[in-house]
Order: sequence, then structure tokens, then C-alpha cells
Amino acid sequence: MSQALSSEKPFQISISSFDLTLLRQKLELVRLAHEVDNAGWDYGVPLSEIKRLTAYWKDTFLPKWHEHEAKLNEDLGPQFTRDIEVDGGFGKINVHYVHRKSAVVDAVPLLFVHGWPGSVLEVKKILPLLVEESPDYPSFHVVAISLPGYGFSEAPQRKGFEAVQLAEVCNKLMLSLGYTEYVTQGGDVGSLVTRKIAQIYGPKHSKAWHTNSPIGEPPHPIKRPLLLLSHLLFSYSPSEKAGLERTMQFQKQGSGYFAQQSTQPQTLGYSLDDSPVGLLAWIYEKLVNWSDGYSWTDDEVLTWISVYWFSKSGPAASTRIYYELAQAYPEGIFSGVQTPIPVGHSYFPQDIFVVPRRWIRAANPTLVFESDHESGGHFAAHERPEELVSDLRKMFGKGGPCYGVVPGKTGYVVDVIKFGGRD
Amino acid sequence: MSDAETPFSIAVPDDQLELLKQKLELTRFPDELEDAGRDYGAPLADIQRLTKYWKDVHLPKWREHEAKLNEELPQFTRDIEVDGFGTLNIHYVHQKSTVVDAVPLLFVHGWPGSFVEVRKILPLLVEASPDHPSFHVVAIGLPSYGFSQGPSKKGFKCEQYAEVSNKLMLSLGYNEYVTQGGDWGALITKRIAQLYGPKHSKAWHTNMPLAGPPQLTQSPLLFLSHHLFKYSPKERAGIDRTNWFEEKGSGYFKEQSTQPQTLGYSLADSPVGLLGWIYEKLVNWTDEYPWTEDEVLTWVSIYWFSRAGPAASIRIYYEILQGSLQGVSQNMATPIPLGHSYFPKEIAIHPRRWLKAANPTLIFESEHESGGHFAAYERPEALVGDLRKMFGRGGPAFGVVPGKTGF
Repeated sequence: MSQALSSEKPFQISISSFDLTLLRQKLELVRLAHEVDNAGWDYGVPLSEIKRLTAYWKDTFLPKWHEHEAKLNEDLGPQFTRDIEVDGGFGKINVHYVHRKSAVVDAVPLLFVHGWPGSVLEVKKILPLLVEESPDYPSFHVVAISLPGYGFSEAPQRKGFEAVQLAEVCNKLMLSLGYTEYVTQGGDVGSLVTRKIAQIYGPKHSKAWHTNSPIGEPPHPIKRPLLLLSHLLFSYSPSEKAGLERTMQFQKQGSGYFAQQSTQPQTLGYSLDDSPVGLLAWIYEKLVNWSDGYSWTDDEVLTWISVYWFSKSGPAASTRIYYELAQAYPEGIFSGVQTPIPVGHSYFPQDIFVVPRRWIRAANPTLVFESDHESGGHFAAHERPEELVSDLRKMFGKGGPCYGVVPGKTGYVVDVIKFGGRD
Repeated sequence: MSDAETPFSIAVPDDQLELLKQKLELTRFPDELEDAGRDYGAPLADIQRLTKYWKDVHLPKWREHEAKLNEELPQFTRDIEVDGFGTLNIHYVHQKSTVVDAVPLLFVHGWPGSFVEVRKILPLLVEASPDHPSFHVVAIGLPSYGFSQGPSKKGFKCEQYAEVSNKLMLSLGYNEYVTQGGDWGALITKRIAQLYGPKHSKAWHTNMPLAGPPQLTQSPLLFLSHHLFKYSPKERAGIDRTNWFEEKGSGYFKEQSTQPQTLGYSLADSPVGLLGWIYEKLVNWTDEYPWTEDEVLTWVSIYWFSRAGPAASIRIYYEILQGSLQGVSQNMATPIPLGHSYFPKEIAIHPRRWLKAANPTLIFESEHESGGHFAAYERPEALVGDLRKMFGRGGPAFGVVPGKTGF
């Protein structure tokens, strides 16, 4: 069989001087919003935070961009781009990804999928841990994709590019890299995408999936009567109640971005593409509110924002997925969670959607792994990298419920003496 | 007797014009999906066209637009003390009719409007005629809007907006007056009616009539009627429009009423961001109004050059509604006569029977075949026609301000 010419090209982040100059010029012209006295975080991101970050961006971070860029390229390791053809008239999309292989030949191929307002950066801390070789735990070959519309991937040009298309791109990417069978890890939008991958490409290609954004629907008299009975008869634990309260609070006070992005993303997009401080505030509010007291450094925040600011298609493109999902799933994205393959959950108490365990279990009949954490929020891979990787190691490691789920790729060095034969 | 007024002219400082010019020159546009139309938000082609015009034509001629506004609208400022919030310097338009006993009328704008919304109805309202009443008109610039100062403390709610408005009228010697308002102006004039009527506010008119859906426990007959008797095609269309607004058109509302400061940084820093944010509503909320570039940009410029900055104007959503549209249609009853004008492209349209049930003092209704949310701007003759009927000879609110019949 002839080998089709792959369009894979090595990639390094290298922001043009035009883009850097434009950003500098815009930062020099920033006009800040006033604030009411003692606003705190009640009205949104405090002025003092934005003032500090904006000044730092202009005076320190941006002038040193090349250092940050170099570190980013170093931390992410080998990056590539590749054309992926998407069915349904979407044509070719040039996709950016990180691809790091473990020294362990039979490492478990793992696709990591970020969400919004995340990016491929979210793989940075877990990457070295995942590929690490050890007799005590499995290692992984890691592919971290920049979803179309994010980071250094192209964006779709046509309407209707939703979770199904994102799943298709991911699956095709893995296949093109020679990973016919693989597992996935995802949170936020990444959780939706990896769930779709599981439903469409599992168990043929996707063999198991893990998420740190587990969901389940509430009890319903007709749709989920047993759950309703349990809801009425047996009380929830204090932590479940706290989680529900946090979820309700988020719906009530923290979901304005969701309403806007699901209905009029283009309108919002004019601000996000034109104003660095507008984009900074829009994202920073989530970085703080959705994480568990994570001590973001200014460099971390601005690197994160920069991936959006310098993204190939601009920040506005990243918000369109909310609109497309609202169109494609009018009944909401919290239904139809079931998949035909094993799923593992990590529960972090300060995530934005934390619902009772029985709702989640009822919605996920193939749930084989659960791990509870005392702390941590939405951006698990960034906030709690060791814990997340530890969970993956338990799930996929020897004695774990998904050990050997990818045939021949257990994540360990094959013991030649034990098997007494040629390698 | 009112004390002397302090005249005001809009005179944007040169450095603000220069900053806007520099920002416009650095505009970075997003891309757009093929055939997006208006589905995803304000269309890119429109925003690009408007931005270019802003930079190349409107802004260079700003002093002409400014002069025209100053010529058409006699403006003033006045310090008003607000309980618990100190003194706020309030900007307003004030034009008296030549008819001495004209009806004092307070016009209250909303968001994303401003005092500029009185521009077209002003000459019609003050006009003297034996055939219709005339009005002395006060159009307040709400605190945090246009050239009015904004409060620096938290908690400036409907009561405070009502207090400022009432105090302004009293300070101008209008001890008794009537009001007209849409959008936030509707909620604020309703509150004025509740707090200061009938002592000061004698009657109120709105082009954004409101009522909540019938509740079984509160209005059982209405609830029954809701389920048993059909709505007319017009009412169905109104319900559809209201549903459209809640499902597709209220993202801005959710953000502004929960995290206004976060959004505010964009609106304060990006002229094209502010333009997109407002223009979407100017198009979607009107009945195919043929906005000229100059109209749109003047409207947006008032926000861009506003005294308190664009971020301040959206705080009202947070202070008063805190994330939920429910508060909008509650507690409607007032102790004074009320008039409604119905325009088919308003963003919240409720069946007539709900409106009558929720507003027991409703004494005037007028239905229109066209027109949308910004009635004073889109349909000035129609709106003024309604006010003339409501307050004129033979009208249900004739002489409601003793001694000031408008003739």
C-alpha cells in the first residue's frame, strides 16, 4: 500500500513582529473602565487586577515575548501542523498539535483535548509526567490537539462545525499518526469532544475515555424516575450539596459569557479581537472563578491570553463552538452522555458543574473509574497535574480497570526475560 | 420657583478625539463564517463599513455633529442630591413650549439609548396648536449615561433613578408632571409613578408595556383564559418575538446583569467592540429602521465619549435585575393613570389581556402596524400622536396636571 504524502510539518510558535507591534501599540492606547467603590469581584474582574496585568503586559511581558515564546516551545516539545479533511463540505483544516512519544515503545496512545478558555497549553504540566517511564505505572504517547478555531489551528469557515466535526478531526489526527486505537482525556469542551469521539469512534478506535468534567442529568419523573425516587428518599452528602450550590451559583452569576457566546458570538467577537484588555478580562475572570484558589502568576495569565490574542483565527473564532452546540443540541449538552466504552472520572470540588454522584453514575453506565479530590477546580491539568496523571495511571495501569484497553499498548516496557523469547 | 439653570454644550476634548482616531486606525477585525448573515451577531460587512466611515468621515466631522446636537437640544446640568449617594451632576435637555400652560413631561431613555432619543419628538411635543396639547419637555440623561455623572457607590437601584428624576423635575419648578419612557425608562417611570404619584407624577405613558404571565394562584381567571382561549395571530407573533428575545437576544442581558465590569473593559477600550455591541441591538430591536451611518455613530459616540464611560452604563442591569429577567415584569401596578403604545417589533410583547390584568390603571392604548423598541426615534409622529390623544381634549388624561392642559 503506498504511503500517502502526509502534510505534517514541524511547527514552532513564532509570532510575527507585525503582530507584536500591533499589540504594543494597542496596549499603549488602553482606556480602562471605571469601577464602583469596594466592588471586589462582585461586578466582574476588579480594576486593580486589570490595571496591574495591563501595565505588566505592556512594560515587561510583551517586551520579553521572545523569551516566553522560546520557553513555550521548549515546554510543549515537538509541535506539528497537518491538514485534516473534514466531511460535509468543510474542506481541509490545518490543525496544530503537540506530539510527544514516550521512550516506552508500547506506551498507551493518549489524545488530550482542551476546552474554552483553555488551549493546548493545558497539557504543559502533565506532558512530562505522562510520558515518563517507570515499572510502577504506565506511560503514554501524548497527542494534544489545538481544536479548530483555537491556538495555532485554522478555524472552520462554514456554519455547523460542532462536536461531531471536532470529534472527526481528532479521530483522523490520531489515525494519521498511526494510532488506530487510543484513549482520550478531556475537560470542558474537551469533555464533550472526547465523549463524541467515544460515541462515534468507540470501541473501534477510542477504547476508553477519561474526563475531569463529569456530568449527569437531574432526576426526572418520566425520563429518570428511579433517580427521582432516590433523590426524594435519600439525602445528598454535605459535599454533594455544596457542589449543587456551587453549580447553581455558577448558572445564576457566572454564565453570562455562555449566554452571549451561545447566541451572538460575532457581536462579542469584535471586542475580543480588537481589545487586548477586553480579551484579558473576559478570560481572566474564568481563570480565577473556575479554579480553586490557584495562584496564577502574571506570566501564566498573559501567556494563556497571548495564545488567544495571537491565535491563527483570532479569539472570536474560539467562541463559535458555543453557538454551534446550542444549535445542534437544543435539548442541551448534558443529555446523551452514554458511551459504548469504559469511562473514568476525576472529581474536583471547585469545578463549575458539580452534581450529585448518583446523577453522574446514572448517566454513565460504563463508568469504571472514579477518583475524588479534596481540592482543585476546572482546569485540572493545570491546577493539579500530579493528581490528574496519578488518576490516569491508576485507571490504565496494572490492576486498573482499563489496563491493556489498547491491545499491545499497556504502557509498560515488555519484560523480555519473563516472556522468555525474542523481542 | 426654579433656580437658574446651568447651560451645557457637548464639547468633547481634543485629546479624546485623537485617542479615538488612533484606536480606530489600529482596529483588528475578527473573521466571520460564510453566509453567517445576522445569525451569529452583528455582520462583519456592516461593522467594517461603519468603522471605516467612523474613521474617515464621521470622526473628522465630529464638531459638526456636536454642533448640530447642541443646536437642536437645549442642554443643561444640575447637581442633584441622592440619598445615600451624595451629589450627582445630571445632564438633561429642557425645552419649554411657547404655550405657557403646556403639560410638563419627563422623557426617560434606556440602554443602549440616551438623551439623544428625544431628538425627533422634541419639536413635535413643544409645538403649539389649537388641535393638540403641547408639552414642556425635560429629557434626563440618566446617571452613568451620556454627560451625566455616575454614582461611585454600589447599590444604585430603580428607586435612586426615580429619586433623581423626580428631584430634577421639582428643581425645575415642575411640581406636577407626566412621564414617557421605554426600556429602562419604562421601569424607572413606573417606579416614579409608584413612589411619587399621584402627588408629583400624575400619569405615565410607556412604549414598552409589561406584564408577567398569569399565575394560577394570583389570577385564576386569566390563567384559565390563557389555556382555553386562543391568542390572535398578532398576539402569537408577539409571543414568538418575546421568545426570540429571551432565547437568542438576551445574552447581553445575562452578562450585563452578572459581570458588567468584565464586559466593561471591552466596551471602554474598543470603539469597534462598543459599536458591535450596540449596533446589533439597533438593528435587531427596530422594525427595519434605515439607520444611517451618522445616526449609528452619533448614538455610539455618546457612549464612547460619555462622562462615566461605557462600562458604567451597563451596571444598571446588575444593580436592578441581578441576572434574571423575571424582575422586569413584576410589581406593575401604579396609583396613577397609564397609557400604552404597542409597536409590533418591541422585544417584549405580551398578550393584551395580561397587560390589562397587570396594569389596573390602564386608560389609554394605541396599537401600531409597524415600529420597534426605540419608538421615539423610529416612529416619532406615531408616539407623539399617541401622547396628544392621551393628554389632549377629550383624551383620558386631559388636564391630569391641574392648570396645565397643554392649550
